[in-house]
Amino acid sequence: MKTWLNARNSRAARNTRAAFAAVGVVTALLGVPPALAGTYDLTIGETTINVSGSDRTALAINGTVPGPTLRFKEGEDLVINVTNTLDEDTSIHWHGLIVPTSQDGVPGLSFDGIKPGTTHTYRFPAQQSGTYWFHSHSGLQEQSGVYGSIVIEPQGREPFRYDREYVVVLSDWHDTKPEKILANLKKQSDYYNYNQRTLLSLFDEAEEKGFDAALADRLDWGGMRMTPTDIADISGYTFLVNGKNPEQNWTGLFAPGERVRLRFINAAAMTYFDVRIPGLEMTVVQADGNNVQPVKVDEFRIAVAETYDVIVRPMEDQAYTLVAEPLERGGLARGTLAPRDGMTAEVPGLRPRPLLTMADMSHGDMEGMDHAAMGHSMPAAEAPGAVEPPMSGMDHAAMGHGTMPQADGPPAQQPMSGMDHAAMGHAMPPASADADPFYAPGSGLTPKAANGGKFLSYADLKAQRPLYEVREPTREIEIRLTGNMERYFWSINDKKYSEAEPIRLTYGERVRFKFVNETMMTHPMHLHGMWTILDNGNGKWNPVKHVVSIAPGTTVLAEVEVDAPGRWAFHCHLMYHMATGMFREVIVEGGPQAAALN
Amino acid sequence: MPVQLSKSLAFALAFSTIAGAGVALAAGSHSGGHGHGPAIGEPGDGAAADRTIEVVMSDNYFEPEHLTIAAGETVRFVVKNDGEFLHEFNLGTAAMHATHQKEMATMMEHGMITPTGIDHEKMQMDHGGHGMEHDDANSVLVEPGATKELVWRFTADTHLEFACNIPGHYEAGMMGEIDVTKPAGSGS
Repeated sequence: MKTWLNARNSRAARNTRAAFAAVGVVTALLGVPPALAGTYDLTIGETTINVSGSDRTALAINGTVPGPTLRFKEGEDLVINVTNTLDEDTSIHWHGLIVPTSQDGVPGLSFDGIKPGTTHTYRFPAQQSGTYWFHSHSGLQEQSGVYGSIVIEPQGREPFRYDREYVVVLSDWHDTKPEKILANLKKQSDYYNYNQRTLLSLFDEAEEKGFDAALADRLDWGGMRMTPTDIADISGYTFLVNGKNPEQNWTGLFAPGERVRLRFINAAAMTYFDVRIPGLEMTVVQADGNNVQPVKVDEFRIAVAETYDVIVRPMEDQAYTLVAEPLERGGLARGTLAPRDGMTAEVPGLRPRPLLTMADMSHGDMEGMDHAAMGHSMPAAEAPGAVEPPMSGMDHAAMGHGTMPQADGPPAQQPMSGMDHAAMGHAMPPASADADPFYAPGSGLTPKAANGGKFLSYADLKAQRPLYEVREPTREIEIRLTGNMERYFWSINDKKYSEAEPIRLTYGERVRFKFVNETMMTHPMHLHGMWTILDNGNGKWNPVKHVVSIAPGTTVLAEVEVDAPGRWAFHCHLMYHMATGMFREVIVEGGPQAAALN
Repeated sequence: MPVQLSKSLAFALAFSTIAGAGVALAAGSHSGGHGHGPAIGEPGDGAAADRTIEVVMSDNYFEPEHLTIAAGETVRFVVKNDGEFLHEFNLGTAAMHATHQKEMATMMEHGMITPTGIDHEKMQMDHGGHGMEHDDANSVLVEPGATKELVWRFTADTHLEFACNIPGHYEAGMMGEIDVTKPAGSGS
């Protein structure tokens, strides 16, 4: 098999290896029946970018952040050469692609990584179609820019129509090197000497002091404790659309009346975005690379590492602003759809930061909870450089500079005077009839469309064509999402990756994962190698995804047909959560061993 | 027309726009009443059909997606649903379809139609004297696996669309173009 692949692709490889600066594509049609084969060359190296007002060193693929869009054809046999010009190991993981375990690109699980100065060749067939992405799975390189997009054209026709398409890569850039950010997060707890308290202890205290006093006290402490996670990690980001900041304004052109397919990819390290295009309804046709029954929305939330494809049809000869507002409202990613270059539309101001309510920390089983994560709701705007929401009428120039780096200082020393205790938790809004079932009833994070219209829910996602037969799971595995903010580590079932045994699955079984989020952050959980069937109550139409986002205080069920032997990564896709322990190895035992070999 | 109305009001609105099957339809009467829109034609007599056009529905697109028909022609459309979802074949202008999409959304909300079929019982429920059937002469709802016919006489040269107005389908591109050309031999 290997020899055959080599022979078949060697000509293409020779032809393209010379040019690494661009993605070389040579399609070889050899033999009968004709099969597609392509060779692609990627080089990972340092580059200088300026998206925040000053030149910074980024890690780039083929010289750009984001890296190139790789365009494959379903059924194509791929040969991808990745050259490492860094002075450290690197890797590329094909996010969402079903590949043999040896080609999955996770150092330590799939292979040894790509050593400095060497070229590693990935070989696998493109078995699927849709919008995906790729990124480094080494250290924190992804945060520094090692990510790009993948578009795989289907063998047959798409079950929808569009006249043109754009890949829209959303990401977050920080001028502070990610290793430094992580170090700050981990040392922050030393600045303050407080004990970890849980919600259960809050109720104990409430018995002594009365609930309001206990909660107010807790919020004071919690507010400072949160700082490491929220102020340090979230403020200071510059948000990018296809590598451009709001001022640089990525623009996609259209002719009025055309249907435009937008392939949204959230390649951010830590940022969820609420995405809308004021004046345009979006029809969601694909989620995580899999077609879904079309659903019209005014806005959607994209978790870290998810993809959504939407079709819009701008009819007017005018510009439309593409707004991707981070959940924490600490800035804005902005682009434009316009009939001609240079046209712009109004950029709406940031909406208020969502406030977490008691609902977000009121899961029945709270021992793993860490209230410090409440800082989602803390006004980080008190910190210097953060954008203060709301910012109606903000000008573009200010936006470009509104996100200044400040993770180097101890941001927890910023006064918390803006904190509104009354707004937090005292009022628990009743669950409304149309509340999103994927948020705790009364959650402060429940999304609302800016125009009062339809906000996409996970419950709306229905597979266009189910990939798997419906069957009862053979067993259930509980995955409690846990963490300890003081020492800044995140965990699964209270154990960090380094302390945990792998999860062992058997080829052929169907496992139900029961995700219980005991923290107050939302976690986008990503299983490599196999699809995750989200149980959203749609039965045979339950959608298949590669990322399932679990909001605070919620339990989400998802099923996996265990159909891929080998060693796989399973982790929260928030980079610093993954890096500090919210990660497991999944080993699939049995099954066709041949598939596990190259 | 807002879709989020009280139930009874939504129904009443749906009736007022869906009822009236069998009358000759002009675009103006459905698209907001400007009155001088292009005539979309009228129901035809199957026996008088000049030709038959087969249209296949899949999830979610039509084949073919472009037709050219001469004004004056009577066409028998044989519409086959090869998909797993309920689809509509509706002749009209883009504006008519936009209006009808709101009605279809209301019907979906009220369970009269589902993504995969028609709830005939709910569809035929009597609501204040109006039958709530989807029975416009310019439109057929075709359940998965079924084939239906629609005979239409095109009367004036214009640009029309055939569309599936099931929520999301038109927006995703389940529509086709019809160029209605001047009558053969009209010389003008």
